Amino acid sequence: MSSVTVAAPTRPALDEAAAPWKRVPLYAIGGTIVGGIVLPLVLVRLDIGTYLITLLILFFIQAVVAQAWNLIMGYGGIYSFAQVALFAVGGWTSGVLVHSLGWNPFVAVLFSPIVAAIAALGIGLPTLRLRGVYVVLLTLAFHQLARVFTVTGPRFISGGGYGLVTVQTFSFGDNVIGDQRTIYLYYLAGFMFAIATFVIWRVIHSPLGVAVSALRDSETYGVSRGINQFRIRLLLFVISAFFTGLAGGYATHYNGGISTTIFDFPRIIDLLAMIVIGGWGTFAGPILGAGIVIGLDQYLVALGDYRELLLGLIIAGIAVFAPQGLWPVIRGLYEKYLAPEAPPPPAPARSEGTS
Amino acid sequence: MTLLVQAIWGGVLFGAVYGLMALGLTLVWGAVRFLNLAHGAIFTVGAYAAYWVVSSLNLPILIALPFGVLVAAAFSYLMHLALIRPVLGKPGFDNSTLIATVGISISVSAAAILIFNPEYKVVPAVLPGYFVISGVQITNQGLLVIATSLALFLLVYLFLTYTRQGMAVRAVSQQMEAASLMSIPVERTYGMVIAISGALAGLAGVLLSPFFFLNPNSGFNPMIQALIVTIFGGLGSIRGALVAGFVLGIFESFVEVFYGVAWAQPGVFVLIILMLILRPNGLFGIGEVRRL
Amino acid sequence: MLEVKGLSAGYAGSEVLHGIDLVVNEHEGVIVLGPNGHGKSTLLRAITGLLRPTAGQVFFNGKEITRWRPDVIAAAGVVHIPQGDLLFPEMTVTENLLMGAFHRPTWGERKERLDRVYELWPWLKDRGGQLTRTLSGGERRMLALGRGLMSKAEILLIDEPSLGLTPLTTQQIYASIQKVKESGIALLLADENANHVAGLADRVYLLETGSLVREGPADTLLKDQALLESYLG
Repeated sequence: MSSVTVAAPTRPALDEAAAPWKRVPLYAIGGTIVGGIVLPLVLVRLDIGTYLITLLILFFIQAVVAQAWNLIMGYGGIYSFAQVALFAVGGWTSGVLVHSLGWNPFVAVLFSPIVAAIAALGIGLPTLRLRGVYVVLLTLAFHQLARVFTVTGPRFISGGGYGLVTVQTFSFGDNVIGDQRTIYLYYLAGFMFAIATFVIWRVIHSPLGVAVSALRDSETYGVSRGINQFRIRLLLFVISAFFTGLAGGYATHYNGGISTTIFDFPRIIDLLAMIVIGGWGTFAGPILGAGIVIGLDQYLVALGDYRELLLGLIIAGIAVFAPQGLWPVIRGLYEKYLAPEAPPPPAPARSEGTS
Repeated sequence: MTLLVQAIWGGVLFGAVYGLMALGLTLVWGAVRFLNLAHGAIFTVGAYAAYWVVSSLNLPILIALPFGVLVAAAFSYLMHLALIRPVLGKPGFDNSTLIATVGISISVSAAAILIFNPEYKVVPAVLPGYFVISGVQITNQGLLVIATSLALFLLVYLFLTYTRQGMAVRAVSQQMEAASLMSIPVERTYGMVIAISGALAGLAGVLLSPFFFLNPNSGFNPMIQALIVTIFGGLGSIRGALVAGFVLGIFESFVEVFYGVAWAQPGVFVLIILMLILRPNGLFGIGEVRRL
Repeated sequence: MLEVKGLSAGYAGSEVLHGIDLVVNEHEGVIVLGPNGHGKSTLLRAITGLLRPTAGQVFFNGKEITRWRPDVIAAAGVVHIPQGDLLFPEMTVTENLLMGAFHRPTWGERKERLDRVYELWPWLKDRGGQLTRTLSGGERRMLALGRGLMSKAEILLIDEPSLGLTPLTTQQIYASIQKVKESGIALLLADENANHVAGLADRVYLLETGSLVREGPADTLLKDQALLESYLG
């Protein structure tokens, strides 16, 4: 009989070492935020500055959706293809509220994430109990459903099959036009991005996120440790939909409408490319991926349809030969060449008896 | 009466189509255990190959048909060599194959736009013409599709049950290690199944294109329908694909004729959700489905 | 005919077999005895290609087969009857047997080979249409053996033929294996106990924690009770 004293089982304390303010140096975050605020003011002085700002807005929107999708696919192992449909749900919600009911866009956009989350609940309840392959199917089916519905549905939604084409955009007052307005839109988008990123970071590093990763890596073990698989996946799914819907709502009032072409292939492709290229199942991966795809897009657009071909081949190639994506590679290089020595882990408490 | 005939004809035709598409999908799942999301792309490859023969080489559709099937089969086999075989047996297999096949779908779509253009193309029917029953157009091509679908189901069944290679396919899908100990070449068998599945998809592509206009995304919708049918009938079950195909086809057709097009898709959606709640394995499923 | 030199193999970074040297000559019956978990199955799997060896070589009839794929090795005449039978669960008894003759040259003679297998176990013919997952333990073992015999094996590697069987069935199984040996096929048997192998064995190896610790002619080694007990417990 050993003399080990068994501690009463307790829930593990929140991983302090993982808290954002410990993982990433404070000055880096602060610097990024300050830089983000100052950037448009600088850019606006350049000729192409305004264009660059709109690119950044696009980046913010896409990065939110990419992160949200990565949260459930990369971390959660939930192969959902409903992302675009949920984005559309958010967009249409806000659009219809403004277009048909005359609400103020700033108010309406708050409902986008809520309705999208409810939709996610509706999809998730029957779907998430089942194995991966069924999730693919049902979410694809939902995508189809949403597409058909927005095209052939009642007039106030389908707008004759084209979607909502003239929706009131965000208005910051009658005096705010042109570059000034673009900058305000930038701040709005950036704010949305910051919140989404922060929340997703917290989720990933919370017991929820850890549980989900555990489930993804070894489902039976996770379940045997008492993780309720279904509830966790549902929660993750809803959180992901929340931010996707928000992005959709924002996009609708940024673009002044939302089109049924959103359901076409290219949108899903772009998002998938961002996650796959950037780093599947990592935090920074989708952000990096969004940056790469949008950044390169400016050059790729010149290639015309070769762009899609290239993206498709790259996605397939990376999936098979480098499934981790770019971010782990970059991080590896960073750690090898640039990072300071990490402090040694604390010595384990000594409490075992004789064996 | 017209409506009824319309509904039945549509149902049987849809059923045959869904079944044909689902057959390839369920074969690959049963044998190799991955979901081939490039199935729709291969449908497109076959159709475009046939179109090219007809429009550029000016050869009759009867020659274009086997050509399209062969090209689709070859393309599938290449995909297997390049993207499936390297990850067989590795831990990230499910992930990699899913994303890789999506990537292929994208690439095929884009390539079709580049080689041909995004405009809708016309692929001639193998059996043109139609006759009318009770005010409903019964196309000869439609009858051909139904006959082909049923014939292929029979052929595949006979192949799997009575031929040496077919039994080997079943053996490999049930107990891979033992199969290799019987000198069955496992990877090559996988390749063969994938090629056959590709041929089926290509055949569907050539036969179905006359009904719609061929465009680079033509294969996407049939594939979704095939997925739904496959899961409804039970992943891996040939019988399931056949029965589910017709059940769903007839159901959708009746809903469409009597309640309108807008309700057809949601109706099928509801049906599949019901099936998954009540009987997650599908009608004749053999796979394990964990319920929480 | 089968020669193993310095074979090492393992799983996920831990080495299970350390430098095994082993020989099986034509028509010989060779037994590898050892307690559970000491590497018997690993040895057979490494020889027949199911597991990649980390070091060493395997020769069959003079040709090196070390890194060959399992299906190629099987086609060459080295047939492995694995532990746990590994039958095809959703196929019938007859279909399982037929799969044993998959190799194209053998396939042409499958009817004759079936008849030969039926001589050993007539019930296989009567219950040919039965699905294998409905068979009992002893029946599964006989079917697995029969399946292995459908091939043109020159050497049979059998992994724990008595695993999980009743004493009566065990006797039957070994009696059948005896008949197989008499037909001229070489045997490499991996087993945990030495009780029934006396009639089959020409030579015996003792395997302990991944290394061969003794080798010798069957009659001397098998009669040495003290030795056996100390190794097999």
